[in-house]
Amino acid sequence: MDKYVTLRSKTGSFSFQVEKRAALILGGLFLCSLLLFVICTSLGSSYIPPLAVVQQFLGIGEKEYEFILHVLRLPRVTMAYFVGAALGVSGLILQRVIRNPLGSPDIVGVTGGASGGAIVFIVFFMGSVSLRWLPLAAILGAAIATLFIYSLSWKKGVTPIRLILIGIGISALMNAFVTMMIVISETAVTTKAYLWLTGSFYGTNWEDVSLMVPWIVILIPLALLLTGIVNVKELGDDVALGLGVRVQWYRFILIAISVGLAGVAVAFAGGIGFVGLIAPHVARMLLGRSFARLVLGSAMIGGLIVILADTIARTAFLPLDIPAGVFTAGIGAPFFIYLLYRNQQRLKG
Amino acid sequence: MHTYKPLRMFALIPLLFTVLLTACSGGNEASVAEETKKETREIKHAMGTTTIEGTPKRVVTLYQGATDTAVAFGIQPVGVVESWLEKPMYKYLREDLKEAEIVGLETQPNLEEIAKLNPDLIVASKLRHEEVYEKLSQIAPTVATDTVYEFKDTVQLMGKAMNQEEKAEKILADWDKRVSDFKTKIQKKLGDEWPMEVSILNFRADHARIYFDSFAGSILKEVGFTRPENQQSNDWGIKLTDKESITEMNADVFYIFMSDEKAVEKTYNEWTSHPLWKNLDAVKNDQVSRVDEVIWNMGGGIKAANLLLDDLYDRFELEQE
Repeated sequence: MDKYVTLRSKTGSFSFQVEKRAALILGGLFLCSLLLFVICTSLGSSYIPPLAVVQQFLGIGEKEYEFILHVLRLPRVTMAYFVGAALGVSGLILQRVIRNPLGSPDIVGVTGGASGGAIVFIVFFMGSVSLRWLPLAAILGAAIATLFIYSLSWKKGVTPIRLILIGIGISALMNAFVTMMIVISETAVTTKAYLWLTGSFYGTNWEDVSLMVPWIVILIPLALLLTGIVNVKELGDDVALGLGVRVQWYRFILIAISVGLAGVAVAFAGGIGFVGLIAPHVARMLLGRSFARLVLGSAMIGGLIVILADTIARTAFLPLDIPAGVFTAGIGAPFFIYLLYRNQQRLKG
Repeated sequence: MHTYKPLRMFALIPLLFTVLLTACSGGNEASVAEETKKETREIKHAMGTTTIEGTPKRVVTLYQGATDTAVAFGIQPVGVVESWLEKPMYKYLREDLKEAEIVGLETQPNLEEIAKLNPDLIVASKLRHEEVYEKLSQIAPTVATDTVYEFKDTVQLMGKAMNQEEKAEKILADWDKRVSDFKTKIQKKLGDEWPMEVSILNFRADHARIYFDSFAGSILKEVGFTRPENQQSNDWGIKLTDKESITEMNADVFYIFMSDEKAVEKTYNEWTSHPLWKNLDAVKNDQVSRVDEVIWNMGGGIKAANLLLDDLYDRFELEQE
């Protein structure tokens, strides 16, 4: 009785239960996010007091910090958080849809396809076409690869196992293509390509952020709306079908959401790896299996990992500014292993 | 009632971010340049046109060739990017860069560090810095070359930007004089053997390269070397992964540069002990030279070009003027 709180609309047409512990953890994550957002923005080549950061955010900042905060740091930190959130939720959905804990956006070809698109752009169009179009090339690549995988897996519907196998095959193919392009092109171009493949938030501006955020603001709530369906699908295709869920249709929608999220993330940040795999696991260890809270949890954990990675990337080796992709695994993995260890202890005890 | 709180908070997340975002995106433009009576110059470059006032005193150079060129002008930049080898600065430039600060990597120069230095001119390259050009321009007037190894373009652009056009002309005229001097002398010395066909070779940990139109390639071409028929393309060069293609390297003279690493040395030994290697003209005639990688491939500026030319004078035992 005490563990749950039931929320009911006045007419009683709409109600759901909130577990107190989960609510506390989510609230904690949210506070962590806000706190870290401010702290990470404070850090850099020169330290800016957190208060000044908050003031700048509220639009009452001092001129002194305006350039560094408004032009350099805030767009970058904001982008990092949203990219992490997108990757986290994208990974969560895929792990659910294909019912495999190793699911991540890489498997449905998003990363491979986006890399392919980006590399084609960098090798053939860089210099003649503005770099602004690079995200579009990456997104196109991701979309084409995913459609390709999906249609190849189609045999009176798509089963998770076919999707995984064909996805891995196509991803390998895309990687081979990327390697080949790198081998045949000149050093200056490969430098750029490697940088993109590593993933970096260097040079992010508000325009990028404003192109990226609408996707997140639409797709993550959309995922939340599908909570009921996902929870039923968890019981297996047959049970879900028996309960009246149009399994194929919702599978398609869910994969589309996941691809959209990972696609925009990869388009603007490059091949940031690992977050899509790890954030959902961390969320699950903290929050259990209910989909709705996992969406919020994965988003915030993904955001936290990436924000931390990027802050380390741009401050730990000053004056050097290093691609964030180098550190995402470094941040996520130890925390993940710690949680595994703790859970094991708890099971023993 | 209080139990509703956490839930309300989640509902607030998107709203909050939207509010914050709108709050941030409406910031003011950088402060308007103060009025001065100094003459202004319009400079056209790879990223557009930039107006520069007077003679810049605090220059930041964002690629190796620009740093090299600044030194050639006798100007010490206040900020430079970290070198690829001999970190943090190439040895041949260190003496002249004692006061210069490192502002990060050539691929990702640290914008905050640059802003801290309060520069009045930034020299960048479109190849590396296209995506941050706008931000650089907000820090200081920024000019950009197309690539990073066209050393003459760099001299001309920096001459204009730093209000030192006469100096730039002199630097380039001196260079032309040296080139024609070298041409005359080598012609005299080698007679019918000149022009020689040259291959610029580079060994890496897992492959070998022949450079065509590169920094060194363009200089060797300018002083009169020719390239073998199979190396005529305008590409940067070619990567060789199979020792069967050693024959592609064939030429009268080889210049080889590579980094000081065990893995590279191993590739080099493997390739040069291959039977095909011994059949190459340069090997048979003992015309294989290992040259300094920094000067021949990494420096990328007029100073490195002159040092490369010095190297050629020495190798052919020619008197310099």
